Amino acid sequence: MSRAPQSTDTVRVVPKHHGLVRITHWVNIPLLFGLLVTGLSIYWAAPVFMHPWNPVTHTHDGLGDVSVFIARLLHDTHDDPRNWIYNHFSLGTSSLASALSIHWLFAYLFMINGALYALGLAAGGGWRALLPRGTDPAEAVAMLRYYLNAVPSLVLRKPNPHPKIAFKYNALQRAAYFSMPIFGALVVASGWAMHKPAMLGWLERLFVNYDGARIVHFVSMLVLGTFVVPHVILVIADGFDTFRSMITGWSARVKEDGDGHA
Amino acid sequence: MDMHDDTPREDAADAAPEATPAVTPEPAAVPEAPAAEQAPAAAEPPAQPAPAPARPAPRKLSPIEERPEVAIALPRRKLAAQTRRDFLLYGAGVAAAALGAWWLLPSRTKSHLPLQAGHDALDTLAARVGLTSERRGKLLDGSLTFDDDVAEALYSKDRTIRTYARSEVTPLRNNYDGQTPDPAYLPTWQLQISGLASGRIERLGVNDLARFATHEQVTRFVCVEGWSAVAWWGGIRFADFLAAFPPAPGAKWAAMRSAVNRDAHGHPDPYYVSIDLETARHPQTLLATQLGGQPLPIEHGAPMRLLVPMKLGLKNIKAITEIAYTAKEPADYWNERGYSKYDGL
Repeated sequence: MSRAPQSTDTVRVVPKHHGLVRITHWVNIPLLFGLLVTGLSIYWAAPVFMHPWNPVTHTHDGLGDVSVFIARLLHDTHDDPRNWIYNHFSLGTSSLASALSIHWLFAYLFMINGALYALGLAAGGGWRALLPRGTDPAEAVAMLRYYLNAVPSLVLRKPNPHPKIAFKYNALQRAAYFSMPIFGALVVASGWAMHKPAMLGWLERLFVNYDGARIVHFVSMLVLGTFVVPHVILVIADGFDTFRSMITGWSARVKEDGDGHA
Repeated sequence: MDMHDDTPREDAADAAPEATPAVTPEPAAVPEAPAAEQAPAAAEPPAQPAPAPARPAPRKLSPIEERPEVAIALPRRKLAAQTRRDFLLYGAGVAAAALGAWWLLPSRTKSHLPLQAGHDALDTLAARVGLTSERRGKLLDGSLTFDDDVAEALYSKDRTIRTYARSEVTPLRNNYDGQTPDPAYLPTWQLQISGLASGRIERLGVNDLARFATHEQVTRFVCVEGWSAVAWWGGIRFADFLAAFPPAPGAKWAAMRSAVNRDAHGHPDPYYVSIDLETARHPQTLLATQLGGQPLPIEHGAPMRLLVPMKLGLKNIKAITEIAYTAKEPADYWNERGYSKYDGL
């Protein structure tokens, strides 16, 4: 801090999130989005979740079944119902060459971004706030009860006090924030296992076999993608300060009143 | 909550930090006693001065323990300016990411998106800031080339590709991109070899292959599409073939061609791939003539195909009719159609 002018012209704030953590957090979004839409186009070329021919959905592809279900639910007859998911969440069908080249580009950027994120966690000491703690199981139950009560308590006009939390993040947040880098690492490792199974045979074996790596890659993508939904909802519920702190690196919540959940 | 909620306090943070530890920024890395003291102190209401509630006894934090959050005092103007700057940068980043995403989209995908009328405007806007379609092509080619370089760097000629037991064999699909060739070519099949040290052009028939020793291996065949199959192959080691027909000095590549390849309408569509001679000399690189202990069927490239388990399936050219050793890097069918060049696994 440099010298401050007058005492009334100062604001007390809590510094949050190392600069690298903030930048890489936001860069993750377009990268993951790009990886998802190209990845699903690649997946379309040869689905890993296959089953015998289904006479109702007319496909071998599990995602094709889900697509047919969604298309019928929405009465969407615009296109082949088996391709609904691919037409809405990927570059589209028969786009393998462009999907692969964009996927490699984004995958390398994602790895660089992940390394910078880890660097930011280490430099800012933020990793300590993500570690599991002994109080987590009890607090997780309390938080779950709190979240489940959120809507009923509004309807019934009953109080729903926020449980006291022991650390910066509550147990559910910590579990989510702790597992995200793990799934990020898993998605990268399984990606390499299926990208270079001959030269990185040991890595392929780590996922049992080639299809094992494909399944882990797919499931990790689902987990990373699904995380976004409650994450965004809770940030909105928590308020502008939480959102702002991930951009500016400071929070105006100076008192340790144990709130803040995103 | 807003920053105005916090009553501006004595700005002692800079002037005399040792006098009022409550507003002193504490470096998180120093696990000393004052750090533990600060959190409760910071929560005190500003009006109440000295008589502190029962504080926890100062203790050392373990290395993995969470550091208490410590408030710092910042000049309001400076904070506001920084915040404004950060939000502007953030907004610029969102706009750049959106435009960049549009720029990277294949035109095929764009044609399926709604609001076609706005597409040209977006393309023009992107081109105006330098995001032209030429640059897009360059970037994506660069991404493929970079990934190829990584694959080449990972490659070791001494590494044995994982092999499987015959009991682990899985069905292998016929993935001819066009129509499977008419078996009529088989009786007159010939392999032409050029680029030899002898300067001659050799022509071999099926019977000429019999003098080579047959090697068997069960390896995984991996397609660029994502499917794979464990298959039991038998054939000639490419290394033995190179020893019998040595290439001209300076040759680095084996260019292979199949004249019998057909497109989806059944018209001739010659297929061509190349591998470097180092990969060709790998003991697991075969000129395969057998699958599952039987002569290769038409759909898997009778009478002879390439088997390079360290490359994607599309390099494993079926029904080879021509091998040419060259010093210059030959063309590759799928590389010309937007796929990688070396396809190393």
